[in-house]
Amino acid sequence: MRAWIKGARAGAAVAAGALVLAACGSGTGSGGGGTGGGNTSAFNAPGGYGKLPTQSGTPKKGGIVTIAESPGAGPNYIFPITPAANESVYTIDQFQYYMWRPLWWAPQGATPTINFPQSIASAPAFSNNNKTITIHMKSGWKWSDGAPVTSKDVAFDLWLTKAAVKISPANDGNYTPGLYPDFITSIQTPNSTTVVLKVNKTYNQNFMFYNQLGQIVPLPAQAWSKTSASGATIPFANLANAEKIYKFLNAQSGKLATYATNPLWQVVDGPFKLKTFDPSTDANTLVANPAYGGPVKPKIAGIDNVAFTSTSAEFNQLLSGNLDVGFVDFSNLPQVNTLKAKGYNVWGYPDFGFSYIGYNFKDPTGDFNNIISQLYIRQALAHLQDEPAVIQSKGVFDGAAGAAYGPVPAVPKSPFAPANALTNPYPFSISAASNLLTSHGWKVVPGGTTTCQKPGTASNECGAGIPKGTALTWNLIYGNSPAVIGAQDEIWASNAKKVGITINLSSKTFNYIISNLSDVSNPSNDKIWAMQDFGGFTNSLYPTTNELFNTKGSFNFGGFSNPQIDKAIQNSISSLDNTAVQKEIGLVTAQQPGLFQPNADLVFAFKNTLSGPPASFADASQYQFSPEYWYFKK
Amino acid sequence: MTAYLIRRLVTSLIVILGIALVTFLMTHIIAPSPGRAILGDRASRAAVNAFDNAHGYDRPVWVQFGSYLWQLVHGNLGYSYKLNQTVDSLIAENAPHSMWLSGISVFLSIVIAIPLGIFQAVKRNSVADQAITAAAFTAYSMPQNFLGILLIGFLAIQWHLFPAEASQSERIIPYIFAFHSNFLPIATLTITAVAGYSRYMRSAGLDALAQDYIRLARAKGLTEPTVLRRHLLRNAILPMVTLIGLSIPLLLAGNLVVEYLYNSHGLGLLFINELGNEDFPTVIALTLLGGIATVVGNFVADVALTVADPRIRIN
Repeated sequence: MRAWIKGARAGAAVAAGALVLAACGSGTGSGGGGTGGGNTSAFNAPGGYGKLPTQSGTPKKGGIVTIAESPGAGPNYIFPITPAANESVYTIDQFQYYMWRPLWWAPQGATPTINFPQSIASAPAFSNNNKTITIHMKSGWKWSDGAPVTSKDVAFDLWLTKAAVKISPANDGNYTPGLYPDFITSIQTPNSTTVVLKVNKTYNQNFMFYNQLGQIVPLPAQAWSKTSASGATIPFANLANAEKIYKFLNAQSGKLATYATNPLWQVVDGPFKLKTFDPSTDANTLVANPAYGGPVKPKIAGIDNVAFTSTSAEFNQLLSGNLDVGFVDFSNLPQVNTLKAKGYNVWGYPDFGFSYIGYNFKDPTGDFNNIISQLYIRQALAHLQDEPAVIQSKGVFDGAAGAAYGPVPAVPKSPFAPANALTNPYPFSISAASNLLTSHGWKVVPGGTTTCQKPGTASNECGAGIPKGTALTWNLIYGNSPAVIGAQDEIWASNAKKVGITINLSSKTFNYIISNLSDVSNPSNDKIWAMQDFGGFTNSLYPTTNELFNTKGSFNFGGFSNPQIDKAIQNSISSLDNTAVQKEIGLVTAQQPGLFQPNADLVFAFKNTLSGPPASFADASQYQFSPEYWYFKK
Repeated sequence: MTAYLIRRLVTSLIVILGIALVTFLMTHIIAPSPGRAILGDRASRAAVNAFDNAHGYDRPVWVQFGSYLWQLVHGNLGYSYKLNQTVDSLIAENAPHSMWLSGISVFLSIVIAIPLGIFQAVKRNSVADQAITAAAFTAYSMPQNFLGILLIGFLAIQWHLFPAEASQSERIIPYIFAFHSNFLPIATLTITAVAGYSRYMRSAGLDALAQDYIRLARAKGLTEPTVLRRHLLRNAILPMVTLIGLSIPLLLAGNLVVEYLYNSHGLGLLFINELGNEDFPTVIALTLLGGIATVVGNFVADVALTVADPRIRIN
């Protein structure tokens, strides 16, 4: 399992600004209906694994779809303003979103972009230098108690989120101080379908829309705006009341044993309602919500989310034919043919994110800080990575991964991908790496130790702060799980040795790395690592690298600093340029602040008695399931 | 005897306190601020600080330990911020299933291993003894994980005789009566335990058979079943009493391999998962529970021995 499952709420929701939509159009095979389309070729492209189910058969009404939960990763928080400690795709995307829909739904199949037909609101309108945002909600969406989903429900979510982060910044997993919801200075609901927001300054409209406002999940104010189970509803549009309401709902969400019986959680606007919840395993069942106002009503009767203790136990259930949908762990890929013989379609695709080795620009050990500051060194290191070989290697990805050359991967293709994200700017070439070193004053000793022969700052010299005789020898600390992290790092280190670069590998746990090496506020360990690899990140639909590669980024643990990129990031966040983030990503990809690696596929098995639009199955690669589109065949 | 019991009780409390202290200190030394690990790599510093403050991780360690002991005295094992439940609830939800699987397996192992070991001792070096010995050595040397995989592969997936996973019943009574569903996990636990216990029993049986009182009993003209039941079994069973006492911690420690393989949620897997999550309250509580069970198991074994064998006296 990838180590970057956090941040899913922002990554899974969100919409697109009108200009971006016009530019990017209907880039998926979903025929404008997002999940309603039927073209599988877009998803069976390079980077994908196996074949996506095709739509076939006559739909049968009813039936329960059994879906495997990831081991040890069941949902454990029901209230949609989810604290950071409980935030995961398993809690939000694969549990809460069945019941409470975000204002803007994403993805479109495997494509990380907004799916307007499935969204509660149309694209927001920006005015007043993007400081006023007007949201128009669609009619027809209603709560399961019969009340319509209105602008008041959007305002309710905003006020409760403000209250939550005021009580503690840890109360909302996506909260960054100063941004959503802090920047909202005014919330108005002129009518039941319109919300007008005012923000404190100009932000880039795509950043605002894709990255920030996508966190909005309308909540049923008519049922939840209260401070006790038996009490009457109270006004929520002030922080004092909102805090009381939040505390009540948060406390209710702490009672896992009552999830299925608490009347609060039965008021939903999503396609399913909770029927049972087992607090000891987090297994749960949901039934179709007959009042669902989305474009397609569920044909199945419900969902059985089955909990598992291990990937082995889950795979055994697949082999026994007891699951309709389950993931296929990398360790089980050699048995995929057996699964197919048992009547499963097996398909995988990468999520929208990136894996990378972070460089430490603050580590003076062996002058690494000065060495890694040289762009030609980073380019040489990129040339030493053989992505196609790693992807195909039986010992690494076994074909189940997509190429990625920067923070925006080549697949799935984002509307915001720049050209160099799609074609490797530094393809594998030992000779290219060797030439870069030689042309900058290094004596390359293949299989030995390459040293600096020409110190200095001229274009044919090693660079500032690199003394004569400096060797290219560093350490790389990688996460010990999943195994593919270490396996691909070993291949890279082996290639590096071919140009005399020695990379000493050691492994640590994911928690150790992010708590000790990646903590910007704890610089005491800056001198003990040159490179680290804990996995990677899931991107927001609007993939700015503000937190990571901005000089002052909150997670810029390697201390990377590039004024040009800082300016590009600033533009991505606060300029009126709707192509700003493409420019930013293009720069980051060219500058290689870390070594970007292939993106692992999320591989699933779908029983062939289950059918539906292919894009509805492809959603799974972006952590979303869309079972309202599925049906059992007669 | 009373003085002995009091002494053992006091010693046990000190041991348990020591376990709590060592576990507490170790977890806090390894990760003094678990906020980052709990909240994730992209959580803001403000969120991490707020989390550490809310859970008291920004206080001195000895203050945290004192506060923890105070909670324990009041029967509060803490709150799992990762699982959004009290540790008491987690234990209450997971312990019955673990205890049943372990308990029934220990019981079956004893019921099978004792007569089997006696039979082997009496029929020493016969074809049957050697066949059972070979089977026992095979089962004993086989990793439990591998045995489980074999059982699932053949009995569940290949021949469809049993389900590949344990009963998924949330309530304990239906779980207990789900014999068919729980057959494979119980068999996995029992087979490996029988292999071990039967070897002990065979060895103790052989020792007893060589004693004069057995010869005397036979010389008196007692029937062979009476000799075996009254004189051999009673003397040979003493090592088993100790083994049974020491298996008490298993009831609460859970059975990691079986829980992992057979999709049975229990305390063993809970402990491992939460160790990875740096969920300190859960980890410390389960370690403490394991320590208490070990101390109790030892104590029960000692007392049981004195009851079973009048020759043993406690000073």
